[in-house]
Amino acid sequence: MPDKQETTLPTQQPGAAAPKPAGQPSQKSMTKAERRELQEKQRAAKAAAKAEAPKGGAGGSAAKTKGAQAPAKKAGEAGPAKQSVLTSKELGHAIPEEGAGKRGPRIFTHFGLPKPIGHTVKGDIHPAVVRLGLSFSEFKICGANARCIATLTAFKNVIQDYTTPPNSTLSRHLMTHLSPQITHLVAARPMSVSMGNAIRQLKLEISNSDIDLVEQEAKDVLCKKIDDYIQDRIIMADEVIQESAGRKIKEGDVILTYARSSVVEKVLLRARSEGKKFSVIVVDSRPLLEGKALLRSLTSGPDPIPCTYALLPALPSLLTEVTTVFIGAHSIYSNGAVFSRAGTALVSMMAKQRNVPVVVCCETCKFSEGILVDGFGKNELAPAHTVQPHGSTPTPTSEPGLEVLNPLYDLTPPNFITAVVTEVGLIPPSSISSIPLALGKTIL
Amino acid sequence: MQAERGQHHRSVEVLASKLRRRQIVGSRTAALETLVVLRQVVSRARFSNFEQLVEIIRGVGRRLVEAQPKEHSVGNTVRKVLHHIREEYQTAVGQTGPQAGTSTSGFSISKFVLQGQPRRHVPAQKTEVKTTLKEDDPEDPDSFSKGLKPVLMEAIQDVLDELETVYDNVSKNARDHIHPDEIILTLGRSKTVETFLKTAAHNRHYTVIVAETGPSYDGREMAKSLSSAGISTFLVPDSSIFSLMSRVNKVILGAHVILANGGMFAITGSLIAATAAKAHSTPVVVCAGQFKLTPLWNLYHEYGAVDFGNPSDVLGFNEGELVNKVDVVNPYYDYVAPEFIDAYITNDGDHPPSSIYRLLKETYDDEDNEL
Repeated sequence: MPDKQETTLPTQQPGAAAPKPAGQPSQKSMTKAERRELQEKQRAAKAAAKAEAPKGGAGGSAAKTKGAQAPAKKAGEAGPAKQSVLTSKELGHAIPEEGAGKRGPRIFTHFGLPKPIGHTVKGDIHPAVVRLGLSFSEFKICGANARCIATLTAFKNVIQDYTTPPNSTLSRHLMTHLSPQITHLVAARPMSVSMGNAIRQLKLEISNSDIDLVEQEAKDVLCKKIDDYIQDRIIMADEVIQESAGRKIKEGDVILTYARSSVVEKVLLRARSEGKKFSVIVVDSRPLLEGKALLRSLTSGPDPIPCTYALLPALPSLLTEVTTVFIGAHSIYSNGAVFSRAGTALVSMMAKQRNVPVVVCCETCKFSEGILVDGFGKNELAPAHTVQPHGSTPTPTSEPGLEVLNPLYDLTPPNFITAVVTEVGLIPPSSISSIPLALGKTIL
Repeated sequence: MQAERGQHHRSVEVLASKLRRRQIVGSRTAALETLVVLRQVVSRARFSNFEQLVEIIRGVGRRLVEAQPKEHSVGNTVRKVLHHIREEYQTAVGQTGPQAGTSTSGFSISKFVLQGQPRRHVPAQKTEVKTTLKEDDPEDPDSFSKGLKPVLMEAIQDVLDELETVYDNVSKNARDHIHPDEIILTLGRSKTVETFLKTAAHNRHYTVIVAETGPSYDGREMAKSLSSAGISTFLVPDSSIFSLMSRVNKVILGAHVILANGGMFAITGSLIAATAAKAHSTPVVVCAGQFKLTPLWNLYHEYGAVDFGNPSDVLGFNEGELVNKVDVVNPYYDYVAPEFIDAYITNDGDHPPSSIYRLLKETYDDEDNEL
């Protein structure tokens, strides 16, 4: 259990600015919270008696006590304004400074700006991992499954190139060698739940590896385990999902899907290759417009699927004819909430409202043990260079007073979801929490 | 009478073709243009009794509505003008009818109910009317129109004035609706909403989140305009409406048409935003001028207004062979049902959707619902 928590930590902090040593961020946020509370107190004091402002911003904790004593005379002039400037400087990291008189809301600050790509490599990072980091940050490798497979494959290289230093055992030392690699990947882009789960599993395997094995043999065993994980948890899982989700597609159905999920794409293509006649509506939206790629793959084969394409705002007009909605997932939380590409929640909400079943295709390796109730707190912004242009007007950029945000994910509450197709069967979202237990928690 | 209609035919035809080609878009512009044409028509019209005048105006209305049935503000303007000139006509010919006198002065439930159908009393009034202003005068057939025209012009001017001040009047209570440090979500670019938000910014400090609203991406312009007015603005793609909704205090939308049941047609995306707001119990407020009130129900199509835009805005020809294989849908409007809307802020007070039907009864005459 402690091991688990340690590894989930990086996944839960992608909003925070940087991948710092474990203790630091929490302490920092503590002080941030403290300071915010302090500022709120100051504001309350200010509201109570407009007078006692001018010294408020001068010194941290002394502010409220001193503020109370402060004479009322100076307040009239520039008192309040001065104070707000001072405090905002003091709490500089919590408040985005948007120019002189303006004060934007602070609710978006936790999103953090996408960091510049880590061309500078700190420490002993394997070239495969460096390359992977670049692909991640450039969104060349995108999607929970693809990133998971790519990470594991890179780690296979890392493990093969690793030599245990003298006076140490592989089972104890390898993980300390892998940690900076993981940190590097997280710096490139916040870790996905699928990667977190895989890495946790890898750690378990490393610590369990036999001390008596010859080093090369131990490495081979580990690589074999990694291959098995990819094969069992992702590739075979997808196969099973294709089969059971395919059974939900009937002749003449109209399937609606949003953006592009590799699993949903395979489900649709497989159902078509089985000779089923159905049509697909692909709904898409900025920032990534991934639906176009799905559209291309659905229509390019020898037996193209009849497709309709529309942007998200047009969704309600299309839903009347839809029989089933299929969506993919980035991860599923144990309360049954689906964390997926931004816009998925809107699609499932509208479908639920019109009584159209919403089926989520998701492998168990994407299950997270945490609970998420809001897609706002934990999210990721699409970096500017990955945002797809669309429309006649140029893609907007942030300027003073106008901030352009491109959140990548949203959270679909469990009540919008009819069923989740996993490799262990079709289950309602309320049963998500029981799956890791049912799997014996040996691999999760 | 045919000859007279021939005279003003020109301006009517010009407007009709502009409407048909969508050279005039936007409900307020269309309404203004319609009024200008109606003013010309009425000023040149020759009629010897009131029915003829009404028929002339209706004829013009029919012609324009036929040209662009989706631009409902045209028909509304004609209806409103008809309503006004009927009122003016009644005052001009001397409003001595006992019913008219009592129904406006005393307040009681029964009067209140009666006022819902004001036209019912017209025939009764008409009989005692003809004394002051003579209709169908065989000696001087133009005397009636000469006597009535000044008040008609006044009536039309009233409607015009109302239209010209509509944004200001919608926004005059903006500060009562937007409170300090609130986060407002809006989408697309509605002139009414834009003015409303900017007016509120005079005395409130708040934040606006604008959804881009594809495929027109009007939201980008809106965001620029708002931020240049000093409002702290965030521009987001449509896809993040749901995830941001949990932090939004109020959704403010514009309307294309307000329907008789309290629902509305509005730019696509309004329905998903309104549904997301409902899922989060966030109030949805619609800013619109009363010229958008339309005596229509959304009978024929449950979703959208069956009005489609250019598909190449969604999937352009630069996508190559995809264009051949794929159907592309680009509807202009969503139908937002009354249960998603909490309030309409109009140029004449704030109204819940449930009372829109009463406004309609007061604004238009029942017999004009079908022009």
